[in-house]
Amino acid sequence: MKRTLIAGLLVVFASAGAVAHSRLGTTTPADGSVLAEMPAEIVLTFSKRLRLTRVRMSRHGGKAIDLEAAKVFDTRFAIPVKGGGKGQYRVEWRGLAADGHAMRGGFSFRVE
Amino acid sequence: MPDLWQIASVLAKFLLYFGVLGSVGLVLVRAVFGRETDPMDAPLRRRAAAFAVLALLAGALGFVLQAAMLAGEASGIADPEMLGLLWKTPAGTRLIPLGAGLALVLAGLWGGGLNIWIAVAGGLLTLWSFSRVGHVADAGAVWLDAFLLLHLAMGAFWIGILSPLRALAAAGGSLAEAAALGRRFGRIATIAVPLLIAAGIVMAWRLLGDLSMLLATGYGIALLAKVTGVGVLLAAAAANKLRFVPAMERGDARAAAGLRRSIALEWVAVCAILLVTAGLTGLAAPPG
Repeated sequence: MKRTLIAGLLVVFASAGAVAHSRLGTTTPADGSVLAEMPAEIVLTFSKRLRLTRVRMSRHGGKAIDLEAAKVFDTRFAIPVKGGGKGQYRVEWRGLAADGHAMRGGFSFRVE
Repeated sequence: MPDLWQIASVLAKFLLYFGVLGSVGLVLVRAVFGRETDPMDAPLRRRAAAFAVLALLAGALGFVLQAAMLAGEASGIADPEMLGLLWKTPAGTRLIPLGAGLALVLAGLWGGGLNIWIAVAGGLLTLWSFSRVGHVADAGAVWLDAFLLLHLAMGAFWIGILSPLRALAAAGGSLAEAAALGRRFGRIATIAVPLLIAAGIVMAWRLLGDLSMLLATGYGIALLAKVTGVGVLLAAAAANKLRFVPAMERGDARAAAGLRRSIALEWVAVCAILLVTAGLTGLAAPPG
């Protein structure tokens, strides 16, 4: 019985490993960073190729706006940002990894 | 936190797993235990077909829900850009063998006699489609595909025995026939379960690498939840093999009730395992 249970644990490890997502590596601005002024672009880098399908940026208490990202599979995206003043910002992204997994994530920064 | 579309995708994935493994499992059991399951031929075929239809619908639903997740809103379900994008990745291309396999399963279940082997071929094609997306597909190793196929086939076979065994052990069923089927399955399981385990060990070694992360991440904790479900499943299976089936062979009618309860528990464990697996593949990212 004990042997069977140990074997069962190993079975679980194997069957659950069927995911190979790309990962968000770094962002510019970095998550949680404080800036003196609004950057001209935000940059997202991923561990594997991914196609961004939606990027939205919102200022705390304000309305979210869609940002235009290149419509290609890539590991690095530089996305232009227009305007914006002081405040707390949140960027939310969605994308499709080349392996077929739909993904999403986000990061925040502050302009003072 | 997962959003609405992710949660809906996970539920669709659970239904897909449930439908595929339920259908293919019944087909395999019907093919392997032809004589023992002959009296239940029609209801087993109907049930296997229902599982296959469920899998087809869940596969299609999961696909459009992924498109909605990409768009972040319901309009993604019918957005040609999102659907076209998905279709070009393994999330789309795997639907071809999945759909073709399930269609073969349904075609094989339609007729009698040797058609069951068409259904078996369709079932194997359906299971193989799972190696077209995820880590196994990324690894690009044929031998790893074979291990996943073996792993899924053994798991489906296990799930497939539950319905006929419970039906035979039900009131009005034959105690001797139920015991004979349980005994034969138990005998095959002594080979099938080690194969299931061996395939699991090899894939674990190839896909995860470092098991120490199991205790340090959300992914690992979810895995441990799945382990708990597997523990329950194995305990119930052990009780069937070592206690209930031998008692039924001795003519103990109360053991049949025990077997039915044990199988009900196995169904609960199977659902929990599949749900956690759907969550693991849909929400959590593995460490590393």
